[in-house]
Amino acid sequence: MGFIELNVLNNAASNVALGIDLGTTNSLGARWKDGRPIVLHPEGGSGYVPSALHFGEQGGVIVGREARELALLDPAHTLFSIKRFMGRGLKDVESDARSVPCPLSETQNGVVQFEMRGRKFTPQELSALILMKVRDQACKALGGIEVTKVVITVPAYFDDSQRQATRDAARIAGLDVLRIVNEPTAASLAYGLDQRKQGKVAVYDLGGGTFDVSILSIEEGVFQVLSTNGDTHLGGDDFDRTLVEVAKKELAAVMRPSALEDRAFLQLLRLAAERCKIELSTDPEAYMHVSLPESGVQWRRKFTRHEFDALTAHLIERTLHSCRRALADAKLPPEQIDEVVLVGGSTRVPAVRARVEKLFGRKPHCELNPDEVVALGAAVQAHVLMGGTREVLLMDVTPLSLGIETMGGAVAKIIQRNSTIPCQATEGFTTYVDGQNGIDFHVVQGERELAADCRSLGRFKLKGIPALPAGMPRIAVRFHIDANGMLTVTAKEESTGTSARIEIQPMNGLSDGEVETMLNSAYRNAREDFDARRAADLRTEIGTMARATERGLSQAGPALDRETRRDVEEALAAAKKAAADTQLDAGALQKRRDELERATLPLAALLMDHVAKAALSGKRLDEV
Amino acid sequence: MAACTKCGAELETPLVCGACGTLFAPEPEPTPFECLGLAATFDVDAALLRRRLLRASRLVHPDFHGASGEEARAAAERATASLNRAHALVADPAARADWLVRSLGGPAENEQRQMAQAFLMEVMEWNETLEAARESAPGSAARSGLPALEASLREQRESVLAELHRLLVPLPARGAPALAQARAQLNALRYLANSLTQIEALRLDSPSPR
Repeated sequence: MGFIELNVLNNAASNVALGIDLGTTNSLGARWKDGRPIVLHPEGGSGYVPSALHFGEQGGVIVGREARELALLDPAHTLFSIKRFMGRGLKDVESDARSVPCPLSETQNGVVQFEMRGRKFTPQELSALILMKVRDQACKALGGIEVTKVVITVPAYFDDSQRQATRDAARIAGLDVLRIVNEPTAASLAYGLDQRKQGKVAVYDLGGGTFDVSILSIEEGVFQVLSTNGDTHLGGDDFDRTLVEVAKKELAAVMRPSALEDRAFLQLLRLAAERCKIELSTDPEAYMHVSLPESGVQWRRKFTRHEFDALTAHLIERTLHSCRRALADAKLPPEQIDEVVLVGGSTRVPAVRARVEKLFGRKPHCELNPDEVVALGAAVQAHVLMGGTREVLLMDVTPLSLGIETMGGAVAKIIQRNSTIPCQATEGFTTYVDGQNGIDFHVVQGERELAADCRSLGRFKLKGIPALPAGMPRIAVRFHIDANGMLTVTAKEESTGTSARIEIQPMNGLSDGEVETMLNSAYRNAREDFDARRAADLRTEIGTMARATERGLSQAGPALDRETRRDVEEALAAAKKAAADTQLDAGALQKRRDELERATLPLAALLMDHVAKAALSGKRLDEV
Repeated sequence: MAACTKCGAELETPLVCGACGTLFAPEPEPTPFECLGLAATFDVDAALLRRRLLRASRLVHPDFHGASGEEARAAAERATASLNRAHALVADPAARADWLVRSLGGPAENEQRQMAQAFLMEVMEWNETLEAARESAPGSAARSGLPALEASLREQRESVLAELHRLLVPLPARGAPALAQARAQLNALRYLANSLTQIEALRLDSPSPR
């Protein structure tokens, strides 16, 4: 284990704020340092935390690279792409539910839950585990500094429920969210600062599960978003799924229908499809393999890039459609865009690049690492929010119109999409019945005409209205969309000046109480996870020591006295047995490890001696 | 122009002091033009408007009050929301004219429903073209007339805006007859804007060939 930064004063710890890209496929942390944003990675590691979770038999949850590796061995207990479920109810996620290897349910307030190993997890809790892992990686890279302040990115097209879910995930992880910032906007910050560019920029961000396009004007440190559009349900996962569908169709000839629909099997197919897709980005053709020795299935299928392009053409078309809408909203024709910036791993697909280039009539800018640029931009924003600079002025927009359901189910828009945030609107309400002391209203987000076709943000209840004749009370309800793109609603009765109380029934959201409970259990689990990690590290270390000891015994063993040799052999056997025993905890493993170390001290001394003698007799060290 | 209650410097906008950075929550809420430190006018200098917006934003934006506690952050949120709302109104000629007509005691949009017969006949023709286009496939003959209609509507929009400029610059007196005429133009503008939005929707929603 190495650190990239050592001499940091303890009191400087609170001044470090992380930018975190909480992605569908990978998550990453970055910080501001010496005048620029840098990705944080423990020495030797990339810093990427695959957004994957594995649920162990003992109830432990493994997050990140190890979880992704375990997915092949145990697909039934590994989850991916949690982000697609954030702020969503069961009926919203029907298509994604099929690729989840476990049953799903819903809380009272319409929050999806994954049922794994007899426990229920909301996407918020699972995202919190990913965030904690990113934070831990960053702490390691920072030489052990504790970090709590973060800027987290979300797709620009995320609605209020999805943003709220992200913020709740951070709270469960014990993080203090300085800001929720839009991914393409963050990317533009990193790009604009890096290149010192001016002009009109389109950021095309195709990630693992979401697509965004933002049109910005950049001039002298002012980053103004003119419009944004996107699809929070369109990304690399959907590209994989087209290959999975081909595989299923062809495997139907050799497999039972029930086996084809087996969730663990589908997980395997998905992973095979992902590999094939990635190869197709560099090679004109690639193979997709599926091997199930126990059912005698060996399937290998060649895909050409041409065939893959045909399968995914409709997906790319959907992104271009969003681009055209964003351009129309920004009132700019494509030829007035000075640069197109590609963000997100899925922009490595050659057909994506080609068609984006065709739409805008210019070669996209590909110099920035599409996997890092969002985290880097979040670090820039964190730096600004910590008071680091006033040179960057970021003016973002709300992606969706905000409206109130009217009589008859239509929507009265009160804040238009692409309004610069923070923004506000005030609506007047009154009563229909004498003495009425409450009013209900339904707030929705979206562009459709009917409330039923928009996303419900919740039903609000105004309470404590003074008893007056019908139509007399004048209640001013203020809708404020803050710099995070999140809504707060306040109300005041104007004739008497009393502030009315508002009760909110969140749709697809967690209550404060639920967040609190999850926060507490997250702390408990973090402790357990820490122990589990230490135990795993110790098992690896014992393995390494055992191999070294065995090698040492074969070289210098005959020179040891009988008693010492017996001690070493006994400690070695005990340590190896302990490492193989999955029931042992970190404490017991530590004891065996220390015993082995003590027992092998004479052997180590002897080996040193041996090496020295060999060197003196003219042998090279590596020949010893 | 008012002065800062804290440092005495002259205020360009009632939302914040440019000298000492103090944020204010003025009551009653200042007019959109006041928020931007501009005199009420239909003839807005776009470059000046943008300079004012950016200058005020650099003072009030919540990004620059992140480290100064919950209360300052909330005040910055409020002030920036007022500023952005003011800017959205002043930057849009239709919204700006509507606000000026109302603030000068002119008729509201539902008080001036009379439209010229010839104009209404024209609107009916647009609607027929749009309806036919909606019911036919992209690329079909019924849609071939849309670009011409769009060009014509844009042209008419420009002439309505020119007419508004003529009526509102210099600002008419309170209750002047020009206000009712401006309202009639604004109503025509709504018909035009509505039809242009529908044309854009038809153009954007036409699924391109795969």
